[in-house]
Amino acid sequence: MSKANKNDKSRRKFLQNLGLAGVSAVGGTALLLQSCSDSKDSASGKKVKVLTQDNQLVEVDVANLKPSDKIKDLDYLQDRGREGIPGKKFVMVVDLAKCKNARKCMSACQNAHQLKPEMHHINVLEMNDPVRKTSYYMPKTCQHCDNPPCVSVCPVDATFKRQDGIVLIDNERCIGCRFCVAACPYSARTFNWTEPKDAKEFAEVTYDMELNVPQKKGTVTKCAFSADRLREGKLPYCVSACPNGVYYFGDSNEDLVTNGTTKKTVRLSELLEENAAYTLMPELGTKPSVYYLPPRQNKG
Amino acid sequence: MNYFKYYKSIILICLCSLVMANVQAQNEWEVTTEQDKNLSPFMFDDEMVLEGKISYENSCTSCHGMPGQADYTPMAPPPGDPGSNQFQLQNDGALFHKIKLGRGAMPKFEDVFADDETWNIIAYIRSFNENYKQPIPDLGGVEIPKYDLKLAFDENVDKLVVKVFSKEIPQPEVEVSAFVKGTFGKLLLGKIQTNELGIAYLDVDPKLPGDAEGKLHIMVKATKGYALAKLNQKMKIVQPTIRKSAIEGRHIWSTDKMAPIWLKVSFFITIFGVWAVLFFIVFGFRNIKKAGREDDVMIE
Repeated sequence: MSKANKNDKSRRKFLQNLGLAGVSAVGGTALLLQSCSDSKDSASGKKVKVLTQDNQLVEVDVANLKPSDKIKDLDYLQDRGREGIPGKKFVMVVDLAKCKNARKCMSACQNAHQLKPEMHHINVLEMNDPVRKTSYYMPKTCQHCDNPPCVSVCPVDATFKRQDGIVLIDNERCIGCRFCVAACPYSARTFNWTEPKDAKEFAEVTYDMELNVPQKKGTVTKCAFSADRLREGKLPYCVSACPNGVYYFGDSNEDLVTNGTTKKTVRLSELLEENAAYTLMPELGTKPSVYYLPPRQNKG
Repeated sequence: MNYFKYYKSIILICLCSLVMANVQAQNEWEVTTEQDKNLSPFMFDDEMVLEGKISYENSCTSCHGMPGQADYTPMAPPPGDPGSNQFQLQNDGALFHKIKLGRGAMPKFEDVFADDETWNIIAYIRSFNENYKQPIPDLGGVEIPKYDLKLAFDENVDKLVVKVFSKEIPQPEVEVSAFVKGTFGKLLLGKIQTNELGIAYLDVDPKLPGDAEGKLHIMVKATKGYALAKLNQKMKIVQPTIRKSAIEGRHIWSTDKMAPIWLKVSFFITIFGVWAVLFFIVFGFRNIKKAGREDDVMIE
């Protein structure tokens, strides 16, 4: 008796559930269809030009734009980050004569890469010249060496050099041993000792190693030459933020560099030769991709 | 007591003059009808807007902020937002004149910008007004010519040859500027007027690195009054450059996956060799011991 009752109850419950499921399915489909038709009808009339994957320029209505799924795909981002941009070799030229310690480069960088104020991918240092008894400001970033000591000491292949000359770090592989921090003669790397800035906001974001966001506690972080911006053909965050025309950035294969402030393009070889450019610690044989033009006393 | 009175009156006079100055500043900023009717000698295009943007960001943003954002610096009188109606309802000529001569806290930019640069800034400001239509002066029935550009390269003198035609008639005195397109900007080759045969010659450095086929992306712009023509063309001008990957054939990683085969082979040969020698010695000792025992047995 009791068993039969129990069966009865469960059957009733099952039918009830089936009914509910059916209703919700129908309702859900209707809603879905509704949203589909909505998205087609509500053309905002505002059109933008976008570049498709096969390099064609098409005009699309803003309402029809959806963030690409690929950008959310970790595997795709990881492969893209390792691969680099073929045919390029990025270089930076820092004109010390123009730096007035505005520190806009630093804040632009920290905002882009989710860094706390005490963490730097680029840092403007005050340098004292004991001979002339003057001081000058020197922005110092990762030198993106052609012989990077940090890369050869990494035991897990987390930090690597790409075909376009950029030295990147992959948070997903980094085990936080900090060998690279010790190996870098330029002190270009920092360590996430604590939870990064706005960790909660970035919790759902897919990791893009070209931007190195979201940052992860217990991993090393470093300047990426704004590889994500370079992919879009834009100048790095620090370069375009500078108000004083300190930075030139470009492709040494083209022998052209562009100033981030004045947007003036000049020949790299001429710029380096005419201004007696130098690199930091050349005796170490690291072959940096960042060149410095010396500070001048009578200018700026 | 008397002194005190003096002070009072001095302060009063000062205050009055301040108020007067303020009233003066808030007066209408008048321009003559002639200045007001002044029109741009160029048609505003994307390039002018871009150039104007750079000049604006360098010289105007600090007070006027970003156009359309109303984020100008709070001053008395307020500098105002160039995207607002207060600016956009003025004629081009009035804006031109005001930028040029300045007033009060607004500096005069006469010596900073050449006329065409000032027009670039106006083109940029106007780009924030969707309803703006550039007024064109009454040309008295004269038609704006349409230019055809033809590019060639003279290898003997390393010069880019630009021929400007309109309806197959060569056009003299046309301003021609040519650029080489780089990743982040364009390198100016030169700015020159066409001769009486409608030809302009521009120097090209033959040492400039081209792409794998020795091609350079040349951008040419020809203007004369309101007539404008542009041409983008990839031309075989320089020697082909082989673009090498920064990591090709190099092994700067410490992980075995990336190690070269010769290193792996020699490593394993060494390890096996050492072990083989050790085993040889141990076996040798064992054999000696064995032989010793056999001798003992034989003696017994």
